[in-house]
Amino acid sequence: MSQFKRVVLWAALIAVVLLALLSVYGAFLGAEQARAFFNSLPLAVYWFALIALLLAGFIIFRRLLQTPSLLLMHLGSILVLLGALWGSNGGHALAKRLFGLDKIPEGQMGILEQTQENRVRPADSNSTRELPFFVRLKDFRMEYYEPGFLLIRSRTGQNWRLPAVAGQTLSLGEGLGTVTIQRVFQNFRIDIRGAERITYDAPGGSLPALEVSVERPGEPPGSRYVFEPTMGHGNPNDRLIMSYSRMVRDYISELEIVKNGTVVAAKNIEVNHPLHYGGYHFYQHSYGEDKLGDYTVLMVVSDSGLNLVYGGYAMLAAGIFWHFWGRRALRRSCVPARRPLASEDARPAKSPADILD
Amino acid sequence: MAVKYTVQGLLIYITIAAYLLALATELAGRRKTGRVLFAAGSLVAVVSFVYRWYDVRHVPLQNLFEVFLFLGLVCYPISWFCRRILRIGGEGADMFIGAVVLFPAGFVFNAEPMQLPPALQSWLFAPHVAVYMLAYIFMAKATFQAAVQLAAREPIGAEAWLPPEQATYDLIAIGFPLLTLGLILGSWWGKLAWGHYWGWDPKELWSLASWLVYLGYFHWRYMFGKRRPALNSLWAIAGMIAIIITLLWVNLSRLFPGLHSYAT
Ligand code: HEM
Repeated sequence: MSQFKRVVLWAALIAVVLLALLSVYGAFLGAEQARAFFNSLPLAVYWFALIALLLAGFIIFRRLLQTPSLLLMHLGSILVLLGALWGSNGGHALAKRLFGLDKIPEGQMGILEQTQENRVRPADSNSTRELPFFVRLKDFRMEYYEPGFLLIRSRTGQNWRLPAVAGQTLSLGEGLGTVTIQRVFQNFRIDIRGAERITYDAPGGSLPALEVSVERPGEPPGSRYVFEPTMGHGNPNDRLIMSYSRMVRDYISELEIVKNGTVVAAKNIEVNHPLHYGGYHFYQHSYGEDKLGDYTVLMVVSDSGLNLVYGGYAMLAAGIFWHFWGRRALRRSCVPARRPLASEDARPAKSPADILD
Repeated sequence: MAVKYTVQGLLIYITIAAYLLALATELAGRRKTGRVLFAAGSLVAVVSFVYRWYDVRHVPLQNLFEVFLFLGLVCYPISWFCRRILRIGGEGADMFIGAVVLFPAGFVFNAEPMQLPPALQSWLFAPHVAVYMLAYIFMAKATFQAAVQLAAREPIGAEAWLPPEQATYDLIAIGFPLLTLGLILGSWWGKLAWGHYWGWDPKELWSLASWLVYLGYFHWRYMFGKRRPALNSLWAIAGMIAIIITLLWVNLSRLFPGLHSYAT
């Protein structure tokens, strides 16, 4: 192998090892700082050098072009790197300067139910920018796993969990008594008329609660109302601390894209199911409630470079499977199996480098 | 550390006992009996996994307990595949690996069933994790072969096994595509769930580092072939160290806060 080829291969090896070391360093920084680090200027130099090295590899090593599996995986790597650069903040700035493509790389938008919005707060600024279309929120809702649980903790730190179903009962042992769930409320309401307390489930709204009774020998039975998520509230003299816990199954925003007054796209987005429109993905990010009503918070992410990255992934995976699995399987089906001996090398020298030297 | 007085716990302990007994039998020279015990333990591991699946009502790959249950399950099929198809031995090591991975599932990790949070409700979640776990077992076997190479030992047994250096390469060549697929599926899922195909999360960065160590191994071996077998083996061992850190340290230590911390 020529000296020059050797130098290029060493450079590739060093580039790979360096990236491994930088990844380990990044892992100690935490995600946010690592993102800034890998997007910094010195790292931009590294990314371009890596692409240049891969391109040089194609020119210098014929085999990289002639062997389809090697071509796919090395070309795939280039596409992933180019796609990532194109989708970065720097890539967006470049696209604006070169092609007048003015996209927001990433931002957030809050939308009240039954209203539409086109203002996005970019991740890196406090001002807002506008999308060329509106996003309308028809409805936001959360779904829960049923049933929830009544969580019970004793003052000595013992814990119990009881499915939040009316009639469920649990004996906590000597001294603490027996806990029974009497009623489950979706939207708890109480009316006090004189000495009488009337509790009921009111339609609409949401104030989930449990009516729980605790029976202890020698004491009159008493019941209490347990709400979510105020763990630890209650009387400091209580022997038991209770809370009602429900786990969220999904957050759902019913969205419509409105352009020039007409609905051009619609989707109920959930975690793992974003909406894709106009060069952006819209993700369920957060939610809230204020005096004007419920609102959803969407994360808006530009899709620039994404096709390149996904195309690169497909090529990388195809090349690697073909190179390491496909060729072996073919060799197996074409060449009669021979049992190699432990004392001999199973195959002739594996790499051309073995022969070249 | 706590004993699990449950059906699930019992199934895990039976599997561990079968794997250890298989190993002892193998070391005593009764290979066939050892294999039968290994296969029997693996069957119990299947029952244990299916039982968990029924219990939690989703593919049980959500947390470390379930993932280690799966690792203990795939040891035998992978061992069989390597022996019959790749001509790579080290069954004793496979039995040992099986018992080792089931130990934390049986005694350390919390087995409380958990409902899937919204981010984990994706069809990509199960293949992403499963493919990684398969890759990890292949890489663990490669590490054993690398250690055998470093110890300058001939493979034990009457069968004609591949020499350790070659076996290390072949195992990594099987595991690496799986590692690549795991990385890509994870990235794709991250895009759908969190909006970014790459979040610079510590777990992601460690998994990238592991992948890159093996990538370095291939380029190194292309450059030097088998002329420096000890160094080839050291690459393989470095890869496994990175994998163990990716799998465990990130979850167990609180050093790296990140998106993947739900997996604890
Ligand atoms: C940085 C610049 C790079 C250069 C100059 C380079 C060059 C090469 C060369 C010359 C080979 C040997 C091909 C042969 O078998 O004849 C090779 C193999 C390979 N390269 Fe790269 N490469 C680079 C980066 C990468 C990257 C980023 C990847 C990621 C996928 C990669 C993956 C591989 C794989 C998997 C092999 C096969 C090794 C084997 O068959 O054992 N390379 N590379």
